[in-house]
Amino acid sequence: MHVVKIATAGQGNCAEINRIPYVYASTEFGDFVLPARCPHRGGPLHLAKVEAQSYRLICPWHGKANSAKHAVRRGLPAVRRGDRVSIVFPGDVLDETTIVHRPLSPDLRFDRRASR
Amino acid sequence: MNHSLPAYQPDLLSGPELTAAILRYATNPLYLDNEEWLNDDNPYRRQLRPQVLGKLKFDEPLRRDQVLNYESLAAHRMLTCIYETDLVFLPRSTLTPEKYRDYQAFYSPHNRARGDVVRPALEKFAFGFLEEEVDVSGDWSAESLETFLRDIDNRVKDAVLPAEKAIRESADPQRAAKMWLIQFAPDFLSEASPMLRNLLGNTGDIQSEWFKIVIDEYGYGVHETKHSTLFERTLRSVGLEDDVHRYWQYYLPGSLLMNNYFHYLGKNHELFFRYLGALFYTETTLVDFCVRAAGLLDDVFDGAADVEYFTEHVHIDSHHGRMALEKLILPVVQRYGPIVIPEILKGYEQFQIVAEIADEDFVTQIAWMDEGPANKSLHDPVHRAIVDGRATAPVAHIVEPRGELSNTHSHQGDELCHIVSGTMKFVSGFESHQILEAGEGTVIWRNRLHGAIIESAECVYEIHSVGDYRKCMS
Repeated sequence: MHVVKIATAGQGNCAEINRIPYVYASTEFGDFVLPARCPHRGGPLHLAKVEAQSYRLICPWHGKANSAKHAVRRGLPAVRRGDRVSIVFPGDVLDETTIVHRPLSPDLRFDRRASR
Repeated sequence: MNHSLPAYQPDLLSGPELTAAILRYATNPLYLDNEEWLNDDNPYRRQLRPQVLGKLKFDEPLRRDQVLNYESLAAHRMLTCIYETDLVFLPRSTLTPEKYRDYQAFYSPHNRARGDVVRPALEKFAFGFLEEEVDVSGDWSAESLETFLRDIDNRVKDAVLPAEKAIRESADPQRAAKMWLIQFAPDFLSEASPMLRNLLGNTGDIQSEWFKIVIDEYGYGVHETKHSTLFERTLRSVGLEDDVHRYWQYYLPGSLLMNNYFHYLGKNHELFFRYLGALFYTETTLVDFCVRAAGLLDDVFDGAADVEYFTEHVHIDSHHGRMALEKLILPVVQRYGPIVIPEILKGYEQFQIVAEIADEDFVTQIAWMDEGPANKSLHDPVHRAIVDGRATAPVAHIVEPRGELSNTHSHQGDELCHIVSGTMKFVSGFESHQILEAGEGTVIWRNRLHGAIIESAECVYEIHSVGDYRKCMS
């Protein structure tokens, strides 16, 4: 296992591990590490909308639904402090790890602090 | 038989009820304003400025950007008093009848009960922001937790804290270093007391491992090696006194936040697991910090500072960090399962935020102290803008007699102090002041600790609440 640190938004908010992008999604019903590639056809899940009633992420390509509740509970272990996130990935440190930027849809940028 | 009971409601005071309870607590004569800057060998006298508490709101938790404001300082001053009624403090010298009354009043059931009534609301107010600053998600295991915590070894170990840089670069490094040591006094003079809160009861073999760390802190019963004794020597070596809370009025909100955080975790045993995470972080990082602190004090005081307190920690905390992980955290997770991991992680991360806030607060205070002469110079252009009508601000007209001491406090916006007649000694920190005569004054930065004492038969002055003094300059 190894630890990778990314930003919650903006520059450096995406870790690409073995060419799979991971971002940190903040939603009204919980925050989680999101593999930003839809398991259906590889659509950009970082641009997904959240279906409020079902807590599902809807892929912008084919409308495939992915459970966000599952990601909160069973996703990659992560801890956010302020605007930084530490994620524990399985396996050893990989050369293929790169930190890049991915835009997030408004539904994945919920600001809990501002909502007070 | 059908017994009908009212629904159980956890009690948290709010609104006028909370304000009234705070005033009942803080109007204890122990907490009234002092006529001196220092508390002289009396650990029971702590200034809470109850005369303003009725105007402050403690209902909604502070936001991260509010934790250095006066409400925060007021709440942490109260919490320090409340937590410390669990600790035994005795003065250095004879218990005079007056001091004996203070001793009895501080530990009286009335004082303790009134404090406990307001404590939950004050804790929510003062620490609530930390719940939003840290979030734990995903499927954690003992293995991923250990990987995460051991990653602390990859930190930049010789990264100088902004506070250390501020001391070295200060206009008066010795004054800044004394102010720094004063900030540690609430913690270091009763070192490890919060830890002891978790020793009572029965937590199996964890208790014995916990105890091993505590006995190091207490020097195995040898008074000369107790960590608080070492810190007393550090204080004396640089010309400070070592009695508890002598420098109460110079504590910053960030410093009290850091000290109170461990009391908060230790007092509320539902946060036991959180304490473990915070303990691991502090014990591990203190090693590097203490190496730098010893070097800093050596440099600033030309070798005259007694730094054994810090060199002792360089050695023992390398053990304590490892013990906290291998003998406390990992066995706890093994026994109780991953349900406790989020709390451990919260403690680990929250304490880092708390430490950053304390550092930021101290750095700004040193800048504020160093800028004393410049702030005095700023009086003229800002006052001119007010007189000319280019700036308007609410004004308070105040008349005070000789010796009147405004106990230390701060304001949410910048202010201008303008002396109409008489002389004021304006204090912006330990050993830091400006003398203000008629026609003079000073800009007062927002959220910066300050106080004043009148040095003429009478002083007439004005406080203009300008909000942002820079806007008066354009």
